[in-house]
Amino acid sequence: MMDFFEANKDILLFAGAAAVKVLIFLNAIMGFTALLTLAERKVSALMQDRIGPNRASVFGLALNGLFHPVADGIKMVFKEDFVPGRAEKLLFTLAPFFALVPVLALFAVIPFGDHVMIFGYKFDLLIADLPLGLFFVLALSGLAIYGVFLGGWASKNNFALLGAMRGAAQMISYEVVLGLTLVGLLMIYGSAGLQDMVRAQGRLLFGFLPAWGIIYQPFAFILFLTAAIAENKRTPFDLVEGESEIIGYFMEYSSMRFATFMFAEFVEIILVSMLAATLFFGGWQVPYLYDPGFIFPGGQTLPLNHYIVAAMQVGAFAAKTIFFSWLMLVIRWTLPRFRFDQLMNLCWKTLLPLALLNILITGAVMLALGKI
Amino acid sequence: MMITAAICVFGGLAALATLLMIFQRNPVKAALLMLAALLATAGIYLALSAQLLAILQVILYAGAIMTLFIVALTVTPAAWRDKPGPALIKRVIGLAAAAVILAELLKLSTALKAVAASPEFSETGTLEIARLIFGPFVFQFELLSLIILASIVGAVALTAKRRTAQ
Repeated sequence: MMDFFEANKDILLFAGAAAVKVLIFLNAIMGFTALLTLAERKVSALMQDRIGPNRASVFGLALNGLFHPVADGIKMVFKEDFVPGRAEKLLFTLAPFFALVPVLALFAVIPFGDHVMIFGYKFDLLIADLPLGLFFVLALSGLAIYGVFLGGWASKNNFALLGAMRGAAQMISYEVVLGLTLVGLLMIYGSAGLQDMVRAQGRLLFGFLPAWGIIYQPFAFILFLTAAIAENKRTPFDLVEGESEIIGYFMEYSSMRFATFMFAEFVEIILVSMLAATLFFGGWQVPYLYDPGFIFPGGQTLPLNHYIVAAMQVGAFAAKTIFFSWLMLVIRWTLPRFRFDQLMNLCWKTLLPLALLNILITGAVMLALGKI
Repeated sequence: MMITAAICVFGGLAALATLLMIFQRNPVKAALLMLAALLATAGIYLALSAQLLAILQVILYAGAIMTLFIVALTVTPAAWRDKPGPALIKRVIGLAAAAVILAELLKLSTALKAVAASPEFSETGTLEIARLIFGPFVFQFELLSLIILASIVGAVALTAKRRTAQ
């Protein structure tokens, strides 16, 4: 028995570490998603001068509404699970999974820290270090369309199908822009691995400016955020499913099936926030913080313990994620919804040419600086 | 060993999905089964550590082309109605034709096996492919984009003409 462990130590260690990382990272995301549903309601209440949810309590302890996500979850589980009589039963059931699974799988390539040394072993703080991570992101986000479309079609309801058609048109269109905005970053970093890109952002420009993606590609960041929010189907791009006014693709869904669609949307907020942080804001990088500790541009140093450095890097990544999630909530409650023709014009006549222009200018500048 | 197992599983999935697709009467479900077959093929590429090929398979075929197929198919009347199966004689003739094609394919595949097994057939990285496309083959590559553009314009022109004629 011991021989078996000794012989396969590497692969067993790798599998165990991967399982632990998946458990910790996905649980953190699930918990954060639940809190995000509360944050969404709280932010909307704040912006509309209301108090927001604050009644759900455990033994009289309300904590200003902290238990509302739990209450919502319990409510969803006990609601009637309705399936329309004419619906395609199997696909109707599968559609929520088509919406959720690609989004969850994408977290595998997002680096949430550099590495930690435990008992002399080096553990990379990301689940799968794919050399083509960025393409993996684009590939799987393209599959998220099927959840929307199957949800609409399998319900066998004309209104749901109309919502699904709007959704498919919108997501196909903005996916093109989303892919093109990232080409500039690919050109600059010369790698499609997300961990490589984050490591490259640890360099300094002119000796003091952190070489984050936003410095090189400020314009691409705005395009990316716009396209990502549209891909996420949130206001101002929520023509696919405006809860209050427009009937959307999941109108026939109830109970946990509906909750899965909603959950996928909130997980996507976190995903977009993490991608924005990773690609444009240095990921887990803290300015001037390196493996031995802080090394400031003036030459002063502040040596730090390895575990403190790792914790600060993971903390920085979490802080950036929370900031972008908050930004997306604020955008949702600030901007009005686009009309459908405005949405399509914005994508094909404004964002797409601008994204192409961005690639052209990036290439020209790199050529002029002799970086190619 | 692991790789062979993965290839067998994904290959089996792809074959199963393709068979189910052929015998599926509902066009949208058939398209979804084809999607499953395409994803299983991407899995085979991944098992052979041809990452770029796998990802391109998902982006292009599963993400773009099948999406358009399925969107177009759902609005056809056939996707909303259950059609009765064909007569027995049609089924027999169809199966006989399929058997002939299968036999021909099996005969061909023995010749292909020798080619695919050659060690020169290996995945090259993104950089190598980019060097080839934008290096010696840049003219052909750009020409291809012109041909695609021409076909898009042609398709739009054809459908637009039909609409004004009505």
